[in-house]
Amino acid sequence: MNRLKTTGYHLSMGLISFLWIAPILWVIVISFRSFDDVAANGLGSLPRSFTFSTYVQAWQDADEFRALINSLLVTIPAVLLSLGLASIAAYGLARYNIPFRRTVLLLMLMGNLLPPQILLIPISRFVELIGYYDTLIALIAVHVGFGLGFYTFVLHGFMRDLPKEIQEAATIDGAGPGKIYASVILPLTRPAMAALGALSFTWIFNDLLWSITVIRSGEKMPVTPALLGLQGLFVSSWNVIAAGTVIAAVPTVAVFLRFQKHFVGGLAIGAVK
Amino acid sequence: MTGLAADRRTFLKGLGVLGAAALVPGCATSTSSPGSGGSAATGELSLQSNLSAEQAKGAMEKLVAAYNKTGGAQVELNTVASEIYRTQLPTYLTSANPPDVYTWYAGSVADSYAKKDLLLDVSSVWEGMGNYSKAMQTLSTSSAGQKIFVPTSYYWWGMFYRKSNFAKWGVTPPKTWEEFLAVCKTIQSKGVPPIGIGLGDTPWVASAWFDYLNIRINGAPFHRDLLAGRGRFDDPKVKAVFTKWQEVLPYFDPKGKSFPFQEATSALLGGKTGMFLIGTFFADSAPKDALDDIDFFQFPIIDPAVPVAEEAPTDGYFASKKVKDPEGVKKFMAWLATAEAQEIYVQSSSGTAIPANPDGKSADTPLVQKGKAMIESAAELTQFFNRDSSDALQPTADAALTKFLDKPDQIDDILKTWQAAAEKVFKA
Repeated sequence: MNRLKTTGYHLSMGLISFLWIAPILWVIVISFRSFDDVAANGLGSLPRSFTFSTYVQAWQDADEFRALINSLLVTIPAVLLSLGLASIAAYGLARYNIPFRRTVLLLMLMGNLLPPQILLIPISRFVELIGYYDTLIALIAVHVGFGLGFYTFVLHGFMRDLPKEIQEAATIDGAGPGKIYASVILPLTRPAMAALGALSFTWIFNDLLWSITVIRSGEKMPVTPALLGLQGLFVSSWNVIAAGTVIAAVPTVAVFLRFQKHFVGGLAIGAVK
Repeated sequence: MTGLAADRRTFLKGLGVLGAAALVPGCATSTSSPGSGGSAATGELSLQSNLSAEQAKGAMEKLVAAYNKTGGAQVELNTVASEIYRTQLPTYLTSANPPDVYTWYAGSVADSYAKKDLLLDVSSVWEGMGNYSKAMQTLSTSSAGQKIFVPTSYYWWGMFYRKSNFAKWGVTPPKTWEEFLAVCKTIQSKGVPPIGIGLGDTPWVASAWFDYLNIRINGAPFHRDLLAGRGRFDDPKVKAVFTKWQEVLPYFDPKGKSFPFQEATSALLGGKTGMFLIGTFFADSAPKDALDDIDFFQFPIIDPAVPVAEEAPTDGYFASKKVKDPEGVKKFMAWLATAEAQEIYVQSSSGTAIPANPDGKSADTPLVQKGKAMIESAAELTQFFNRDSSDALQPTADAALTKFLDKPDQIDDILKTWQAAAEKVFKA
């Protein structure tokens, strides 16, 4: 009876996992098919060809190397900056009796509830006005601005629950607020920071909307719009697009695998007190 | 300031300077925004292109390289994914420091930007384009009477089929509507859906049927007026289009609603459908070995009394009103209008486009020659639904036509809804 249960469990879970992963597998299969095969037999048919040339083509046509560099040039500073600033803000709001801290926090969160679409035009015009339109700096600034509210909120919840006594002990040892932040609070917040870091990396790396709003030159586009560039006006080589997508997914998958432990743990942050 | 040990006062002073620096361009509002990636008066022109597909992009690079060799302003090509370009074009044109020259479509779509006073008057470029056809001139003229567009190539629409399949089924390309119905019947009797279509993700393909039926039954002038908001979609003449359409509805591929036109192309080539009303761009998605077997016939004539019109979507360039170097831009556009420049592009792109300059040589394949002859013999030319109206009107057509294909018996209701939706677009 017990064995039956286990087998049933594994069978059904295996099936669900397969359903989950099937679209990804499908993309990978398509990425190895030749154009003539896809054109003659359709996307849904079983593969009748095998080629690596799609990857070469994606790498060259979409200029994926440059696009990936652009993506990383935006993503890494944006993640570091937003997490750094958010952790300082959260530290202040969580550990000190700053007047109106609740209001500040709610205000930051409110910004996050706003749908980004309504801000597209104001941001594009503002960035142009200050002379940073079509620069990666503008893109970094937008991502930092948008991430800050949510990261502060999460980190605030985490820092608030750290025991008061640790901070008191540090104060007695003569540490000022800066020292306490850097040597006591920040190391303790590491799990939350790692989880948020992995999350924000995926979000920023996968963003398309903001990059096409503030960037106009093809050579400054990050990888998501570059992939879109593989789509023709009418006709698209889906096999090459699939290959490009597989390449573009590598950095996020790598980050996820590296931070997987924190990622799963981080999801429960603030769930239990 | 000595090293890192800047004291509080220098820090504050620095902050003040930063703040002032941020304020200065802020005061200048949108007249000119310094240093935003443009190419201010350095003898450079920027060309914003939506031709992002591999072949077309390569052709554009060749074209620009050829111009840069002629001396004069150097052109910098900037290719943006077509999907992004479509949505961002208004933003490009209205920005403080816009790119100079843009790839886009002739006709109403270009005129809609001219009406907002965003486009450069290129009448002087047209002084050297006397050999262009009357139709091209009309297409490039704004409603205010200025030339705003330089056409460089066009393509055509037709009923495409595989020669080998037509031979196998024992049918010949029909000329009239009656013959067309007979061909449909024969192909259906062989167990193949006669008319292929692909509407999933690409619902605009159905507009080709509406366009063609309308210009065959009511004529091109009526069609243009209707799309410009000077007619009504609940007009009995429009209803006549749909009653005609009903005659062939049973011959449509029932699967066509679920996949995009690119898959519909695969279906045609695989012999799963008989014919396909589509633009020549579909050839890019065909395997090379199938291309020689492809032929087309003109959309069947319904009423011989109506002057024959064909759809010939025209592509080309317009320039922003705010260009820094109008003379350099006009020189570049005049070069784009030459037969030589258009041949460079046509030869390196997919090969089904035809140069807009009558002296330009198109590809030598029988298919292209046949298409060119068909367009040249047409009494009237139309563009395509969205190009003859606007990108805003296209979704109303998509909704109406998709609904018609689902529920062909509700024509009156559909037309009433369509008229209401169109009125909203025209009033906006």
